[in-house]
Amino acid sequence: MTTAGLNRVAVVASAQTELRPAWRNAQHIDLISSVVADVFKGTGLTLHDVDFVIDSGSDVLDGRSISNCGFLGALGAHHKEESRVEEDGLWAALYGVNKIRSGASSVGLIVAYSKPSESNVDAYWSSMVEPFYQRPVSFGQRAASGIQAQRYCAEHGTTLRALAELTASRWRAAVEHGTVAIDSVPSADTVLASPDAAVPLKEMMLARPVDGAVAVLLAREDIARRAARTPVWVTGMGTSLDAHSFAARTPGRLSSCEMAAKMAFRKAGWSADSADVAEVSAASVVGELMVLESLGLAGPGRGLAAATGGRTRVNASGGALPADPIMATGLVRLAHAARQLALPELYGLDRPTRAIAHGTGGVGMQNHCVFTLGI
Amino acid sequence: MHAAPDTYAIDLPALHSELAMPYTLTPGRAAGTFLAEIGKRRIIGSRFASGLTIAPAEDFSPTDGESDFEFVEVPATGVLTAFTQVGGDIIGLIRLDGCDNDFPHHIVEAEFGKLATGVRVEAVWAEGVENSILAITGFRPAPGTPIGKARPAGDTAAPVTVILYTMKLHYEHAYGPYYARLFDEIRTNRRIMGVRTSDGDTALLPPREIDDITHRRTGTWKACKDTGTIRACSIINMEFLGQTRPPPYVYAEIVLDGASTRLIHMITIDSVEAAKTRIKPGTRVRAIWRKGEREGSLRDIERFEVIDG
Repeated sequence: MTTAGLNRVAVVASAQTELRPAWRNAQHIDLISSVVADVFKGTGLTLHDVDFVIDSGSDVLDGRSISNCGFLGALGAHHKEESRVEEDGLWAALYGVNKIRSGASSVGLIVAYSKPSESNVDAYWSSMVEPFYQRPVSFGQRAASGIQAQRYCAEHGTTLRALAELTASRWRAAVEHGTVAIDSVPSADTVLASPDAAVPLKEMMLARPVDGAVAVLLAREDIARRAARTPVWVTGMGTSLDAHSFAARTPGRLSSCEMAAKMAFRKAGWSADSADVAEVSAASVVGELMVLESLGLAGPGRGLAAATGGRTRVNASGGALPADPIMATGLVRLAHAARQLALPELYGLDRPTRAIAHGTGGVGMQNHCVFTLGI
Repeated sequence: MHAAPDTYAIDLPALHSELAMPYTLTPGRAAGTFLAEIGKRRIIGSRFASGLTIAPAEDFSPTDGESDFEFVEVPATGVLTAFTQVGGDIIGLIRLDGCDNDFPHHIVEAEFGKLATGVRVEAVWAEGVENSILAITGFRPAPGTPIGKARPAGDTAAPVTVILYTMKLHYEHAYGPYYARLFDEIRTNRRIMGVRTSDGDTALLPPREIDDITHRRTGTWKACKDTGTIRACSIINMEFLGQTRPPPYVYAEIVLDGASTRLIHMITIDSVEAAKTRIKPGTRVRAIWRKGEREGSLRDIERFEVIDG
């Protein structure tokens, strides 16, 4: 495949609010306008330089339809080209990268936000499932995550204790690098003592919904070289959607994650084993292991070893378990992965050059989006 | 960024809101037939030309989208292929005998700790439930149940064409410091407060931290008058879902004196014909505040009325 004539695109900068269980004293527009104002700082670019704004959020979680129309001013999108992606913000970034790659635009602002504290997250997931056969029997995100975990643990002999230890380590990482509000870091025992959520998973083994917003500034190569201290190049992207019906998907696999990863790595010209950094999303701790395996960072059932002790630093930000701003989680991963390449000293990393960022959406992690990054 | 207003911060409790959306769901031929038959304790599936057999019935093959199929009646017995427990509720994936697919349902009359994949299960039927997958209460373990077969369904009932359904979603919307002060002032002082634009003296309503047009910090607070000018309007003479008052009335976008943005409110009218000549862009109006208890919302303004003369 030729890429001649296509522009290179870089992540120039990112900004993120603290991710909190609830931002009770702020509206969506307050969180959004805060990151939009912040993301330009230090770049020399301003909102005037932005050719388009693409945003991600959920109308169902927001409690209003076409909610982006009410947020245009906060998004910095007044009289600009604006588009909404009703998927995780990493898909918004994919859309934005392609607009710049094609030559249609030069600078793009990608924004994702979430305020699940204003809503009922189980109802949000329930609204996504099929209404005749699945919704009446209470099938939703919890059941899908529980079934994935039951199958995974049965097949690979993974213990609850090991899952709890991984979960606790993710919360520790979030305190260090994630800008996440956490009162006290749970121990593995605390995780195990949390209530059953979707057996075998405990409540704390599910991704914790949080409020927050994130903005990422993308630019064409020549602009990125002037604006960014270290431009982080988007070297590959892939996306794939699995069957809507959870029961129709291949058991024990995240096929669409495998396909999205394959697509991204083909473009990048490298594979998971040469990644220095990976930032991945997940609905649960078992979901995270399945993602690591689908990306090729570990063999089947070997995700635990890769999660904390592999060559690739995984989820230095804590990932989605301690902080899942639904619809923004994948874009937060992109922001953190790019930061780790551009500012490795903040993460104690030794000259990393390649990173993976991953986002997911849908009940039981139906859809996946994978970015490869390089410096 | 994200600073409190320059006068004082107000932390109002969240605004409770409910969205209730009525739907007339269309199951289509396959699901409609399944739902029509399930009350008669017959489980209808689809057998596609490729031989793939699935239940409950679908119009399209979940694997390749094939639409050429015939109805089959499948047994109410099968195996449990996966399970979990959410709350007190065991949810499993079931593969009915003669079928190639799994589907989720409740597992009943079972002890979670004793469940295992591969266990034989059978349907437990509900009394008096029709047109719903819940005509089956759930599936219970039934070791040793003979393995049945899917067979042609023969004549099937006319498909259910519509399922009435309402999705109710509840919200607790944060006001944030700017809206909180706006609504607190309306309740306490019957005063409509905006904030100045980043580069002028007119006020933005509702108030906000960032000016939508310049994306710069907005200016100081400013009390707007409760009189203003209609900039757009429509005479509403029909009923629809979500209306807050019976028609006829005028929906109006009003620029209050001192503001630069439009406030949406209503003007009550006696006669549609008189309103057509009397109420139009440029017409001056005043707020009529509601008597009695104030709630700190735009409902504290009962309506606007035309200023005569």
